[in-house]
Amino acid sequence: MTEIQTIAEAGRLIAARKLSPVELAKACLARIERLNGTLNAFIRVTAERALAEAKVAEAALMAGKSKGALHGIPIAHKDIYCTKGLATTAHSKLLADHVPGEDAATVVKLADAGTVMLGKLATHEFAWGGPSFDLPWPPARNPWNPKHFTGGSSSGTGAAVAAGLVLGGTGSDTGGSIRGPAAYCGVAGIKPTYGLCSRRGILPLAYSLDHAGPLAWTVEDCAILLQAMAGHDPQDPASADVPIPDYRAALETPIAGLRIGFVRHFHERDNPSNAAVKKSLEAAADTFHRLGADVRDATLPPLEDWHACGMLIMMTEAYTLHEPWLKSRPQDYGEFMRDRLSLAAFLTAADYIQAQRMRRELCARFAEAMRAFDLLLCAATPFEAPLIEAVTKMSSFERPSLTFPFNVTGAPALALRCGFTDADLPLGMQLAGRPFEDALVLRAGHAYEIATTWSKRRPAIVS
Amino acid sequence: MPKPRIAKETFEALAVRAGLPLTPAQKTELYEAYSYVEAMAERVRAGGKRAPLVEPATIFKARG
Repeated sequence: MTEIQTIAEAGRLIAARKLSPVELAKACLARIERLNGTLNAFIRVTAERALAEAKVAEAALMAGKSKGALHGIPIAHKDIYCTKGLATTAHSKLLADHVPGEDAATVVKLADAGTVMLGKLATHEFAWGGPSFDLPWPPARNPWNPKHFTGGSSSGTGAAVAAGLVLGGTGSDTGGSIRGPAAYCGVAGIKPTYGLCSRRGILPLAYSLDHAGPLAWTVEDCAILLQAMAGHDPQDPASADVPIPDYRAALETPIAGLRIGFVRHFHERDNPSNAAVKKSLEAAADTFHRLGADVRDATLPPLEDWHACGMLIMMTEAYTLHEPWLKSRPQDYGEFMRDRLSLAAFLTAADYIQAQRMRRELCARFAEAMRAFDLLLCAATPFEAPLIEAVTKMSSFERPSLTFPFNVTGAPALALRCGFTDADLPLGMQLAGRPFEDALVLRAGHAYEIATTWSKRRPAIVS
Repeated sequence: MPKPRIAKETFEALAVRAGLPLTPAQKTELYEAYSYVEAMAERVRAGGKRAPLVEPATIFKARG
């Protein structure tokens, strides 16, 4: 089997008994065998376990005991998601021998939904330090061109999904770590509302900014994965106790009449994008207009404000976690993570509190802006994936992030492909909504995806 | 990259206070990158114009 299905397609075929979960898992494992040496998307492949799980799923399905759309679907987890009895390293020498005694809450939820776990995926060290070449495992490479960056930190998930090594996977997003890889690797990825998916059992980077969420080939697949991942967890202090809607069913409602704010100043003034990104965003706005949405310009505080606020909070919270190791085992970090973290040692308590006060103001400004709009459209990255060697240690400080605004507010934000460069590298955009309106964000992304043809194109390396 | 406004000697004193075992090369590199931290720290202070009643983002809600 050479064709790569989406989760939705595979689920339908499995339900109709036209596709075997065992054969599906074998096809993914064969692609991993063929491509992972180039892409470094997986740092640990659990082939035997995957085939055993696929056989269990197949037997259950043959007995008429379906668990739903994810039953028998091959996925993998970013290696900061704890997996019971299976090393969870954060891609770091510091945790090279760390074998958790429990699964992360979302790992349990996805397993309960019947997924087949193929292994653990590359990440930037502790979800921030990368792409690094001085870690125990190499950095993931972009399937559209392995000389290029995947984005990070959910780098392995972006690469694995784009290359069809898995049909979906988990990521985490503290400042853009789901949406960056989704944009650079040409897949879909949603950072759900803060608190929608439990963070329990996911190695933290910054408590008040960390979000768990899925990446997959299509928005519909993200909706299916989010359905399994979302839900209140009383053991996660930030978990929200809110009703979980049917995300997939919500995709069917047309988007005519939705008010979409196009945040042009993000990519035109605050973090100027290249011509290809500008063109793709204008075309996306036109597509939404043709679908019946009311697209108008929106203005938010400048990206520099969001970036300073989010970055200072992230650095300080991360430093709080890592200070003991930075003092006792600095040589065991990769250089990027060690030096980025070390900068946070020079921040003060007042810096952190001022950033949190600014966060309150920015959330109020966001809520005010969202009175006029149902959704926001903006760039995900200012350009296509750069060469991996061109990404520098301090690159994340050089330009204000396009993704941080929605970590600062906790609002749901989806990244998805909206074009390609002449060199066949994907371009990405973001759709963001009000907190807990994740279903609306997915609905608009799905409408765009089926109105365009970008999702038909796979990286040449796959064929 | 803009130059830091803090003097190198002051930066090195802050490094000692932080207690991190930095190499001379790290000190030089982090000193240069410190300008990013200075700019962000200045920005979150909003020029000292933020009203005292603007609290940090943490809130607590009683269950209904």
